Amino acid sequence: MTVTFESLKAGDPIEGPDFAVSRESIRLFCDASLDYNPLHLDDDYMKGNFGKTNFGGVIMHGMNNFGLISRMITDWAYPAGAIHRRLETRWVKPVRPGDTIRPSGIIKAKQVTAKSRWVLLDVVVRNQNDERVATGEAMVEFPEA
Amino acid sequence: MPGAQAFETDFWKDANLRKVWDEIVPGEPRKTIPCTLTREAIELYCRSVGDTHPLYFDEAYARTTRYGGLIAPPSIHIMLMFACTPADDWMRSPGTVNAGQSWSYNIPARPGDVITLQARALDKFIKRERLFVVHDNVFFNQNGDVICSGRGWTIRPK
Repeated sequence: MTVTFESLKAGDPIEGPDFAVSRESIRLFCDASLDYNPLHLDDDYMKGNFGKTNFGGVIMHGMNNFGLISRMITDWAYPAGAIHRRLETRWVKPVRPGDTIRPSGIIKAKQVTAKSRWVLLDVVVRNQNDERVATGEAMVEFPEA
Repeated sequence: MPGAQAFETDFWKDANLRKVWDEIVPGEPRKTIPCTLTREAIELYCRSVGDTHPLYFDEAYARTTRYGGLIAPPSIHIMLMFACTPADDWMRSPGTVNAGQSWSYNIPARPGDVITLQARALDKFIKRERLFVVHDNVFFNQNGDVICSGRGWTIRPK
């Protein structure tokens, strides 16, 4: 069923598909994003310490979470004629090869402004242990038809 | 965007040319390079996040939509950040850890767009012994229209 601004209410959920993280998926994201930081490529480098943090091996790009959340939002917004206008994210926990992650969101509020209509969402990415790896907020515009 | 040969994928190379936290001046513009966004680069990015939406792949479909043709997904700025900056840009410093980002979207980027970036460090601070830099960025198309603008927080390598 296509969503409409009128029918949406606080607490409504949205969900994206599972994403299997592997060395290959991380390598593909390097090529696609042009971000070849050794954090994502070099296990020997990742044996070292980063300040107080030791990651223990390569980690997924934080922006891969961002891309998955963004994809969930556009997949939800396009059929409704709505527009993905904003996304803010923070990375909570590193994601490693072998993890399976899944974005989801929940509608926090709706707001009508002078010239348009907006839906505010809380978004999160969780891993296979239901741990939060990324959190954020998004804004989707529902222009008057 | 640069071709595979032109883009230096070894981020250790030129590492000594990049500014460390102490040298980054908030407010000072970063060097940027205009780049042409190709359909291939859009499709590769989409594949990397499992996105198969026909707005990005199917020109005949895209022409029937409000967008009137193929577009790039909003998060294409992830790739444009590296495509529009030179090899000595400090965003490439090995060990740069991304702590979070926020982006606002105006109009979509499209295949064939010549994209320019205005970027700078906006702020830097130390928190729990970590060296943070806040960077802000605005991407424009060849008509001077804003595509998107965003801000990011990175922890700098020591």
